[in-house]
Amino acid sequence: MHRLLASVCKETKIILRDREALFLLFAMPLAFVLIMSLAMRDAFKEQGEGIIFPVIIVDMDKNKVGRSVISAFSVIRHFKVDSAASSGRTDEAAIKNDITYGNHRFAIIIPPGTTGQAVRRAQEQMGFAEGNQTEAVPIRLLSDPTMQGIHRSLVISSLNRILQGIEAKVLMEQLAGLAEGSTGLGLGMEEEEIPKDIRVFSEVAEEPVSRDSSSHAMPTSVQQNMPGWSLFAMFFLVIPLSVTFIKEKQQGSFQRLKSMPVSPWLLIGGKIIPYFIINQLQFVSMMLVGIYLMPLMGGDLLNIGNSPASIAILTVSASFAAIGYGLMVATFCRTSEQATTFGGTSVIIFGALGGIMVPKFVMPPFLQKLTAISPMSWGLEGFFDIFVRNGNVRDILPESFMLLTFASVCLSVAAWRFKTT
Amino acid sequence: MNKENIIEVAGLCKTYPGADRPAVDGINLAVGEGSFFGLLGPNGAGKTTFLSMLAGLLKPSSGKLLIAGLDIQGHLDVIKQRIGLVPQDIALYPTLTARENLAFFGSMLGLSGSRLDARIEECLDIADLNNFAGSRVEIFSGGLKRRLSLVIGLIHNPDILFLDEPTVGIDPQSRHFIYNSLRRMNADGMTIVYTSHYMEEVEQLCNDIAIIDHGRIIARGGVEELLSQHEYNIIRVRTADEIPAALQEKIMALPYIQESRLNKNGLTIKSNTPQQALLELVSILQQNNISIISLSAGMDNLEQVFLALTGTTLRE
Repeated sequence: MHRLLASVCKETKIILRDREALFLLFAMPLAFVLIMSLAMRDAFKEQGEGIIFPVIIVDMDKNKVGRSVISAFSVIRHFKVDSAASSGRTDEAAIKNDITYGNHRFAIIIPPGTTGQAVRRAQEQMGFAEGNQTEAVPIRLLSDPTMQGIHRSLVISSLNRILQGIEAKVLMEQLAGLAEGSTGLGLGMEEEEIPKDIRVFSEVAEEPVSRDSSSHAMPTSVQQNMPGWSLFAMFFLVIPLSVTFIKEKQQGSFQRLKSMPVSPWLLIGGKIIPYFIINQLQFVSMMLVGIYLMPLMGGDLLNIGNSPASIAILTVSASFAAIGYGLMVATFCRTSEQATTFGGTSVIIFGALGGIMVPKFVMPPFLQKLTAISPMSWGLEGFFDIFVRNGNVRDILPESFMLLTFASVCLSVAAWRFKTT
Repeated sequence: MNKENIIEVAGLCKTYPGADRPAVDGINLAVGEGSFFGLLGPNGAGKTTFLSMLAGLLKPSSGKLLIAGLDIQGHLDVIKQRIGLVPQDIALYPTLTARENLAFFGSMLGLSGSRLDARIEECLDIADLNNFAGSRVEIFSGGLKRRLSLVIGLIHNPDILFLDEPTVGIDPQSRHFIYNSLRRMNADGMTIVYTSHYMEEVEQLCNDIAIIDHGRIIARGGVEELLSQHEYNIIRVRTADEIPAALQEKIMALPYIQESRLNKNGLTIKSNTPQQALLELVSILQQNNISIISLSAGMDNLEQVFLALTGTTLRE
């Protein structure tokens, strides 16, 4: 214990006396987070071109309207339709669950009997049938609240446009039927008698799917950007951590330590603890910026959800993953130039793949699959669970488990390299 | 070596991955307890590799290595507690103070509390660093750094101290300070293993010497013993003009000369009858109008022994 404490004290003193490293660890990420969150808030609003959204259509109608919606979405290049009926997934709860875990971004639910109801509604609205009791058909759109507003709007307007087309077709069919049945030249009604505003389907309203049913708050750009860039900053400690270690090797103090009866795990522990504390300070400071400073600068307020325990577990897991990766890089690089270049570049690649610089759903499908290899992607999904989907501890356990597994592998490799090099 | 052996090495080899020849090639060696053992050899001879294996930093490719009667395989932690290492590099944390460096390495060696504090003070005394105890190492001169590096190797009072070229790049004053400290410690019973390519310091300090080249021990003994072991004598001639290669061939053809080698402005000759060789050599140089600036003969230092054994000088 005394040795570990001595090792932690030594590492802490070295870090605190290295002003450049402190600047890299705190000031730069804070500036970066502020600039990127503010800058990208507006930039994201302009995006949307060339994006393909996976849309699941739950066709419980299994009739003309259902088939028409599926075929209409299938021909729009922005959508990749996954027909829930064909995959046997018609359970709304299961679909919602899929959305909360990010498996689907949007789901369109066409209720049973939609076609019959639409026809009745059309006939009633046009005065071909008695009464006015049939309500407009509610086609529902479930959405992932982590999607950008522009992308959600695109899906809503597309769905409304498709429904208007189907609506027109249903009305035309009714008119055509009436024309076939009439003996005169006209349609059996005067032009002024045709209602001007016939609606068969009700206007589609978006239903964001959240784990906490009481909250349907849409995510702000800060909620999307802050956790991402915070994770990025946490992983950026790979540079000072590996450079410190490589300097130890180059200056010979590591060789001297190896001539002493010291376990590699003790040396690793001596490095983990101070950098772990730094990571937590980084995260807290960035959350404080999101909560207090960002609104003052014209950005959105950061909503951190309702589960501080989830935030703590996820931050701790992400920190171990970042430190483990940093130590592994340190044991493989021979010079500080190598560590700076490789460490920095790999963190940027992790960030890009992890959906931090570019949202995951904007990426082409093959790249979306690749995001699974980035620990930052696991961390970001976890923070979305908490901040946007109001998730709890249970919801972030898979992401935490992935991060801790990654950390264990990296630390074991680092310990092996400590021992053998 | 009138005492029990504290280091025993048999058939020790080390080949680095991808290397075409071993860095240490079958060394057999025994070092007595309390010895001041010097390992002399040129750069790249295998000194640091050999020392790294003795200090438990490198795993031998083959061979047996006993420290204080314990096989290094299986007793590494016990052995590490009994040895001290002063590496070739400065091996300090520049942003920590001298006292903080001592405290950290002392803690790693298991010292704590008042025992650690007492040893830090003793080490600062030994290195005469009391006035610099609270200063960061980054502002130290090379000599002060070396002195601190030396006492860090001593902080846990080891039985054996390994020093890998500990005086490289320092001023004569600090060098003599280190020499005196080491002599005192050796007189107090500490076994010292000292590697260097400076033959003068090995001659001055060590009572037991091994010369290493290409990973092998090529000579072993005390200074006098080594000087008397070699039948060949070395003749060195420094000339005002360059000796032409054709003349060197004529010199080689002379009787009494076994080997000759051209240097910058001179010639080195190996002979087992130096008196006759000298006469012949002076005569032929005069005949060819080559002026002699200096002339030496005999085997009065280790460098010449090394030259006689390997055909190269230590500093080449």
